[in-house]
Amino acid sequence: MPAPEPPELRALGEKLDEARGKPAREPVTPPSAMGIAFRFATELGAALFVGAGLGWLLDRWLDPRIGIRFPIFLIVMFCLGAAAGIRNVMRAAAELNAQAAQAANKENEEQ
Amino acid sequence: MAMNPMEQFEVKPLIPLHIGGYDVSFTNQSLWMCIVVGAASLFLLYASTSRRLVPTRAQSMAELAYEFVGNMIESASGAAGLKFFPFVFTIFMFVLLSNFFGLLPGSFTVTSQICVTFALAAVVIATVIITGFMQHGFGFLKLFVPKAPFLLLILLVPIEVISFLTRPVSLSVRLFANMLAGHTMLKVFAGFVIALGATAITPTPWFAPLSIAPLFLIVAITALEILVAFLQAYVFAILTCIYLNEALHLHDHH
Repeated sequence: MPAPEPPELRALGEKLDEARGKPAREPVTPPSAMGIAFRFATELGAALFVGAGLGWLLDRWLDPRIGIRFPIFLIVMFCLGAAAGIRNVMRAAAELNAQAAQAANKENEEQ
Repeated sequence: MAMNPMEQFEVKPLIPLHIGGYDVSFTNQSLWMCIVVGAASLFLLYASTSRRLVPTRAQSMAELAYEFVGNMIESASGAAGLKFFPFVFTIFMFVLLSNFFGLLPGSFTVTSQICVTFALAAVVIATVIITGFMQHGFGFLKLFVPKAPFLLLILLVPIEVISFLTRPVSLSVRLFANMLAGHTMLKVFAGFVIALGATAITPTPWFAPLSIAPLFLIVAITALEILVAFLQAYVFAILTCIYLNEALHLHDHH
């Protein structure tokens, strides 16, 4: 528990937990399939959006200065954005997998 | 009859106000933000006045929220994250109450506006960046340098930077899109009830009893929306904790 509580209260809480026979209080909300799908979609989409947006801004700023009329930054940054999006999704999936593995471990221990 | 499902998201000025060429009118959005902040403050103040060892109902709710957020921070960013408790708790309560107040009939959903959610996300990311630089100085920039051969870094560092810049966008879009979609869906199905019910006065009145079906669906979706309202506040707060954790501890994330 996070509260700056006196040690005797903490001890009482631990005794109560023991008496109730539950391991620890933690709010675990397993994400629904819809939630996971939505998370992946926003991660991927947002990265594309940010990459392309940055590229567009760079084009507007730099192209007249270096004298080209070709949206090179938009194209390059869009590709980098796609890569970043896939990286984000992989990272999110790794997080979810770790959570699922943790939950599975806990269940195994309880049985 | 307002049949436009998007009409509920319209920002209307209640007290027109123009300062220096900028429109700073007091809108229905400002009003509902004030209501949310006021309600949260009043509830927590009222709940914490009694301070009994055996809590009253209100105190119990406040303690539940306190412990919930505290546990969330501790599990996501360790004991070092607890100094951000006021920050995360404020964000959590604001988003949670905005989502719940938005479910009241005739109310305005503050979190269905991308400007509100993006402002919240921008504050979160600004806090993360400032914390990171205060904790690690310029070592914080190592966050953008994964372990890889030098030649690959030319490609990987921009990808990591974009990936980091994605966070405020995905954080805000997730909350805003969930609220927008849910409330639009409710209004669309409510429109079905009216449209089907109105067939009672047409040459095909036997369709009218069918309007009970979308009505039941609205009840079910409302229940789902209550879950979504809580879940999105939770997701917003836990991601804040995860990002703060990275700024505090700076192990490369993968």
